[in-house]
Amino acid sequence: MMLFRTINLVTCLASVLLLTTCKRPFSDRAQDLSVFRFSENGAPVTMDPVQSATQYANLMTTSIYDQLYEYKYLARPYELKPRLAEAMPEVSEDGLTYTYRIKKGILYADNECFPAGKGREVTANDFIYSMRRLFDPKARSQGAWLWQGKIKGLDEWKEEGADYSKPIEGLRALDDYTIQIILNKPFPQLTYTFAMGFSSVTPREAVEHYGKEFGLNPVGSGPYKLKSFSTKKAILVRNENYREEIFSLEEEGYDPKTQSGFGLERLEGKKLPIMDTTEVYFMEESMTRWNSLNKGTEIHFGGIPTELTHMVAEELNPLVLKAKYAEKFTAMNLPDLGTVYLYLNMSDPKIGHHSDPEQNRRNLLLRKAISAAYDWPQRSRRFYNGTAALFPGTIPPGLDGYDEAFTPEMTEPDYEKAKAYLKEGGWNADNLPVLDYNGTASVQNKQMYEQFRGWMEKIGYPRKKIPYVPFATFGDFNKAVKQRNCTLIGMAWGLDYPDAENVLQLFYGPNGSPGSNSSNFNDPTYNEMFEKSVVMQPGPERTEIYKKLNQIIIDDVPAVCGISRNTPFIWHKNVVFLPSRNPHGSLFKYALVFDESDDQ
Amino acid sequence: MSEENISTGRDSLWSKSRRKLMRDRAGVAAMIVVGAYGLIAILVYLGLIGENWSTLGEEGFGGMSSEHWFGTNINGQDIFSRAIQGIKTAFEVGLVVAVTATAIGGILGAIAGYFHRTIVDEVIMWLYGCIDAIPFYLFVAAVAFSLKGTDLQPWGMHIAMIATFWSSTCRIVRGEVIKIRGLEYIQAAKAVGVGPLTIVRRHVMPNTTHILLVQSTIAFVGAIKSEVILTFLGLGVVDGVSWGTMLSESTSDVLRGHFGNFLGASGFLFVLVISFNMFADALQDALDPKKVSS
Repeated sequence: MMLFRTINLVTCLASVLLLTTCKRPFSDRAQDLSVFRFSENGAPVTMDPVQSATQYANLMTTSIYDQLYEYKYLARPYELKPRLAEAMPEVSEDGLTYTYRIKKGILYADNECFPAGKGREVTANDFIYSMRRLFDPKARSQGAWLWQGKIKGLDEWKEEGADYSKPIEGLRALDDYTIQIILNKPFPQLTYTFAMGFSSVTPREAVEHYGKEFGLNPVGSGPYKLKSFSTKKAILVRNENYREEIFSLEEEGYDPKTQSGFGLERLEGKKLPIMDTTEVYFMEESMTRWNSLNKGTEIHFGGIPTELTHMVAEELNPLVLKAKYAEKFTAMNLPDLGTVYLYLNMSDPKIGHHSDPEQNRRNLLLRKAISAAYDWPQRSRRFYNGTAALFPGTIPPGLDGYDEAFTPEMTEPDYEKAKAYLKEGGWNADNLPVLDYNGTASVQNKQMYEQFRGWMEKIGYPRKKIPYVPFATFGDFNKAVKQRNCTLIGMAWGLDYPDAENVLQLFYGPNGSPGSNSSNFNDPTYNEMFEKSVVMQPGPERTEIYKKLNQIIIDDVPAVCGISRNTPFIWHKNVVFLPSRNPHGSLFKYALVFDESDDQ
Repeated sequence: MSEENISTGRDSLWSKSRRKLMRDRAGVAAMIVVGAYGLIAILVYLGLIGENWSTLGEEGFGGMSSEHWFGTNINGQDIFSRAIQGIKTAFEVGLVVAVTATAIGGILGAIAGYFHRTIVDEVIMWLYGCIDAIPFYLFVAAVAFSLKGTDLQPWGMHIAMIATFWSSTCRIVRGEVIKIRGLEYIQAAKAVGVGPLTIVRRHVMPNTTHILLVQSTIAFVGAIKSEVILTFLGLGVVDGVSWGTMLSESTSDVLRGHFGNFLGASGFLFVLVISFNMFADALQDALDPKKVSS
């Protein structure tokens, strides 16, 4: 008996010892106010700037690396401000030569790739090296398309073997702090591109030191450096070499009328980055994120799952939380700077361009019928909480070229008109073509497909003539789109920079698949006008051309558009953080977690 | 358990079995339910009922009403109509898989049994051993992937099921045939010079019919369950409605407080599977020669 008691005692003690020596669980660190815990719905696979094509990778690279410019935190519409650059660029009169001066005394974070492990000063040559890397086939860059054919001699440098010792006429460091870029033709959006993660300034030592592991060992001069990384979590800690940067509401474009309820006033005068540590949790499951957020002691920031919005929110547009949640959280609907489309493959003669003028006319009427029957308001109500911004055309509201005369009512369906188009084109149930509806295999995509098919049934399109042809992954789907193998293509586009050129180029003929023009629209008038507009500086003349280009998209229907989504985000009351996505990169340096008891 | 001797001396094994089946009340009830499902499937197939399954309603997530017995889904589509479309899908898959897999399993099992301990037997045993060793859902995914871009793509799930379901029938039939091949009438047929394949076709296979009948019911219900699971996982029915589609939709519906898809699909599936299992048990009991002749 004594023996059993002794064994029991030892077992209990061992269990207690085991539990207390285990790593403390997440919730026990609730009072750690030096950590901001952010969540994302996906994880990056690399933090190499030249491969940061996803929003997850871009979030990490813009936290760790410096770019020449960034967007003001609070200004809407979005406004650029210098980051590594000292000021806005000097541009020659012909718009072909840009001169950028960078700040002096900016240091990289300490890292073993540098002599004695001490971060050295960032120079103009680092920028030149980083731009060259984008065009170096060995770096497997995903961002070169932004500057393809635009910088004098850069494409030729790539074709001649990407030899770093050879000079490039249009890409030079005039001295340690001055960069000169000469363009082949005017590209007014050039400076916007230097606010993207792709253009991060990278030290050559780090690339050479880490080799293939560079993507997991980022070394930059940004506000944070990477402490650890896994597919579940990244820990970012303050870069102790980061320059003196003080937050100013005025400089960031603060608007008290629309932004006064978020506690941003607390940030005034604080040194950036405010938090010593930011932990980024990669949580794909929306319910997992919600549970972690709602627990109150885990992540600070996340989204409201669409399935739960009715439970959490009193009103959705504008977002008003129920009292129980309003006590704990601050929330907002985050507008997406982008659009959702249904591309119609114009290279498919069943529905798109056709060599026979009569068939071409009939195909146009068919596309118009599809567009007229498309019920964007219903799509928004059923899949986007009824909060999406509705507008005709491809240019979202707020951008240069958006026609203020447009109203959301213009996106309402008109089934009678749609039927009239079909009749005019001589289409009937027997001769209507079979149109594959393509997308990624998911429950929601199938529901969206069924909704689309239901609209088409209303105008007399036989159910069997619109089959669902899904792809297992987005990669497979995208590949098929790039090979022009899809007919009806449900996709979205997030703007890389706040200029309508970025959406209008989606319909420029030479950008056809495998380029970004997934509808393969190729209209000579459109192409000519677009070519004219891309070299123009912002102004009334360019605005008029943008409007005309937008109208061509509405009239010729290479895509049925459009809406911009609004995503409901929510964060703890003791956190100051105004979320934003593209064109912004990381905003972690502005996040603040404070002790609520100090306010009482 | 003692049973009433129902033999009259003139009855065939089939008539004895039929009478025994009809005396099994649970079995008969199950048969009626399965018959009702079959009838609904035929009516749906002929387009006489459930044709409005794809029609969009004005508002999504409508409650139960006289118009929509199980309510409506996110697109305002009638869940009851979609559930009975699911019966058609289930019966289509079940019938194709059950008939084909049982036929293949029966034929290969009879050949393997008759040619017991020969190379033919070894090859067939090796084949079903290999098939059984591959995890079913991985196998389906592999088949679906390999058929991608071909005309057979919509049949990927059927092909994968047939390729795996035949093996259990084959194994049982093989065992039965090994027993049969030693009986006198087979020896007599051999003695008068009847060819081996003719013996298999005319004298062996007819004596395995009761096994094939039971195995086909098991394959039928197994195929329906697998179809629902595979569709739920995104590997099954692509175009059209299945209970699996409804269940996968219900995963987010229930969080919104809407249970129509879940109750509709799982209710119909539950009743069909229970009924078919009970029917299969009753059929097995009725067709078991030992029990029938006892």
